[in-house]
Amino acid sequence: MDFIVISLLIYLLGTVTIVWPKNAELIAHYLGMLCAVVASGMVTYASAAYLLNPVDEWLVEGVWGSYSIQADAWSAAFLLLTGVAGVIISIYAMGYGKTYLGNRIRLLGGLWNLFLLSMVTVLIAGDAFTFIVFWEIMALVSFLLVNHEADKKKTVSASYQYMVMTHIGTAAIMVAFYMVGSCSESFSFTDMSGNTLSGYMKDIAFICAFLGFALKSGLMPLHIWLPNAHPAAPSHVSAMMSGVMLKVALYGFGRFAFQFIGMDIFWHGFVVMVVGLISAFLGILYASMETDMKRILAYSSVENMGIIFSAFGCGMLLYSMQLTSVSVIAFTAALVHACSHSLMKGLMFMSAGAVKHALGSKNIELMGGLAKKMPYTALFTLIGSMSLASLPFTSGLVGEWLTLQSFITLAQQAGTPEMRLLVVFAFIMLGLTGATALGCFVRMYGVAFLGRARTGIVKKAHEVSGFMLFGMGLEAVLIVVIGVMPDILVNMMQGVFSRFSVVSMGTPMGIIWGGSGQYAIYSPGIIFGIFVIFSIFMVAALYRSSNFVYKDVTWNCGTEPTSRQQYSATGFSKPLRRTFEKILSPKRRMTYLRKEHAYFGRKLQYNLEIPDLFNDKLYKPVQQMMINSSSAFHKIQEGSVSIYIGYTMIAMIFVLIWGVLL
Amino acid sequence: MENLIANIGLNLIQGLVLLIFSPLIMGIINKVKARLQKRMGASIFQEYFDLFKWWRKPTIITPYTTSIFILAPVVYFMTSLYAATMVPGFLTGQFSAGDAFIFVYILALGRFFMTLSSMDAATSFGGMGGSREIYVSVLVEPAIMLAILINSLRYHSTTLSGMIIDYDGAYFTISAVLTCIAFFLVMLAENSRLPVDNPDTHLELTMIHEGMTLEYSGKLLTLIHLGSYLKIIVFLTLFGALYFPINIPLWLKILLGAVIIGIVETLNNKMRLFKVRVYLGAAIVFLLLAIVAE
Repeated sequence: MDFIVISLLIYLLGTVTIVWPKNAELIAHYLGMLCAVVASGMVTYASAAYLLNPVDEWLVEGVWGSYSIQADAWSAAFLLLTGVAGVIISIYAMGYGKTYLGNRIRLLGGLWNLFLLSMVTVLIAGDAFTFIVFWEIMALVSFLLVNHEADKKKTVSASYQYMVMTHIGTAAIMVAFYMVGSCSESFSFTDMSGNTLSGYMKDIAFICAFLGFALKSGLMPLHIWLPNAHPAAPSHVSAMMSGVMLKVALYGFGRFAFQFIGMDIFWHGFVVMVVGLISAFLGILYASMETDMKRILAYSSVENMGIIFSAFGCGMLLYSMQLTSVSVIAFTAALVHACSHSLMKGLMFMSAGAVKHALGSKNIELMGGLAKKMPYTALFTLIGSMSLASLPFTSGLVGEWLTLQSFITLAQQAGTPEMRLLVVFAFIMLGLTGATALGCFVRMYGVAFLGRARTGIVKKAHEVSGFMLFGMGLEAVLIVVIGVMPDILVNMMQGVFSRFSVVSMGTPMGIIWGGSGQYAIYSPGIIFGIFVIFSIFMVAALYRSSNFVYKDVTWNCGTEPTSRQQYSATGFSKPLRRTFEKILSPKRRMTYLRKEHAYFGRKLQYNLEIPDLFNDKLYKPVQQMMINSSSAFHKIQEGSVSIYIGYTMIAMIFVLIWGVLL
Repeated sequence: MENLIANIGLNLIQGLVLLIFSPLIMGIINKVKARLQKRMGASIFQEYFDLFKWWRKPTIITPYTTSIFILAPVVYFMTSLYAATMVPGFLTGQFSAGDAFIFVYILALGRFFMTLSSMDAATSFGGMGGSREIYVSVLVEPAIMLAILINSLRYHSTTLSGMIIDYDGAYFTISAVLTCIAFFLVMLAENSRLPVDNPDTHLELTMIHEGMTLEYSGKLLTLIHLGSYLKIIVFLTLFGALYFPINIPLWLKILLGAVIIGIVETLNNKMRLFKVRVYLGAAIVFLLLAIVAE
């Protein structure tokens, strides 16, 4: 029997915890998470073995009636990502889930397994029906998971918004599948790849597929569900949704691009790349304005998915220009960044969960000085923040570097002025994105973990339990290992595309990528070694010196410094807010509560609101239009039966006259 | 493999050489400024004495801080030193692990830790400096990216040693001159020099980089100052090797660059903080024109 199929059965076993006897909730919880860990471990093992051994044609294959499964290398890459995230986040959830004791914890564990099951099945689906059915299960189960804390009003509105949005996406995907399937007279993926779709039908199918999958991966302007759903969900669920579910959408889009629609039309890749770049910058810009930890991370997911899709679009462009072998670098960039984003966003949502567990709040304006209370969480969060700011020696830079290299390749290989302009735009956007991401995570980490406690809630903070620390630590170690030895991941992911390429990129030392006179090198292993050795020597030398450290309170013009004198998160992002105020259009309101003295001791209240650009300019008008039109219909829908009978009679008479006349 | 080790050794030696000369370049800049203001000014070796003075003083730290506060100067200094081993010029044609994007991100690593440390001491000035540093870096980064793009399009490589001006071809072009001007503007902003930041004052209205380092003293302060001196000489070397389109020896270009910085700093006032976006916008426009003219 196949590992993947067994793992599906184990996930199914895990869902049994929903009907576990109520007096043994804790056992049900551990059992459910154990099933998830074991099954995800098997998925990881099977897909890694398949990727390292490129002899087998299919990772898994099977047909049951009209349902079939099959997984090629493109699926295997995503299965690996899902498996790793599944193992680590489930271990974390063993500790974190205990906060839900007495709060439908059995349901949480069961749905968790079902969620993983549906994602794995989407990835190995061999025909459109299986794909759509499990895609829909994935959407519904994640809706239920987001809605878990349904006693909060905000959670309910967020989860219903997610429900509506995701179904718009599913509808678009179904249309795309139908268009491709009807041209190939079969809905199995193998037959669909030989479809005869052409002309504008192909464009429509592409638009539908891009719309559907971009919505699920949270690209702008379809992202609005994302910053609401992630903060509402339990932390391990947000980690899984952001770390894996968004990538499952990339998997689906890649399936369409590679297999069904093809990449021979120029503007398809162009659209994907430009939308990706705009999402990247606007996503991180909104992230650096937020004060809710999980909303920051959610907007940062928009950013990273933007970078991934821009790399993918760049690959599509290169492919459409018959530059097949160099397009691999762009696709590899997308895949590598998807993997590393899965790791780092999993880590960061887990640490946001740990902070929420310890403090009971997600608002960074209330925190400060957490690094002293939670040293290990602080260390892991630092690694995650560095990775999200794409700094050297973390996995974040590997994907970003490959993305930049693929853009340069596009400018050099295409050579046309239009392509150069596109790449200039891409470089400006990525430059802005990179620097803003650094600022965003400096702000988040600095305000929450460094400095002094801003409010009393920090006093009762404590380090979290072993399971949670182990999960976060494992993720942090993986991030650093990939950052220092990127060739492991890059080689594996490049192997996915080796069927249509001969470009070599990985070496035992790092990444060297060469093609047509250009070469670029990134070998962080050596740098890292030298760097760390020198730094350790230097710190040791500092500590050994005789007059090294005296501790004394900061000079504050003769007064005792208070914790309110620190920079707040809102203040920290003020220069950026002012620079980009045309985009952000911040609404600030200052109220004088008391004004006895003209200058000193007056009380102020400061309100700042940054509405989402697309929410105001796109969704609100559409929503208003729909309400208006339905209220117009409301006039003829009086609700009394006699009027409806009247309508029926009028319709009958109309039909009769119509029949007589024709 | 032996080749690799030899090259790494050579790169390290280059880093040390730049490290030794970096305070001298600062001394020259200060001397030029003093002479232009009709002062005698301090000796050009003054910075060495200053560094020695700071090194001997005790290091005082706020009790609110975490270990980031001690780590940050070390990382900042190490990133500058690493950048110094990467820059091409003295070791032209050698194997270098120096990719231009890695150069940018290595410096970003230093900036990440410095801005974090600015928030660690729990003061207003620190946060103010960190916030402004981020603001300037957001505007600088697209310009640096474009400058890299231009040279990599011209010389078909993204390694720093592959992007050196090729004096065999046509090198004094409109595009090259525009890039040179733009990179100089960017260099002033990145190294917190005058029109953007004033390195000489401790006035809260004007400072950016100094604001971040206000809580540092003793050995940690020495490391930060040495790191920023090193960053200036690194950028001058990069400016000379990659963007200064006149065929003279590199050390002369570095000296010339230092003198020009001195002159520019004498002629200009510090601009308002929110005017910086116009200044760096101008740099980006120059770079765009350079790409069009390419």
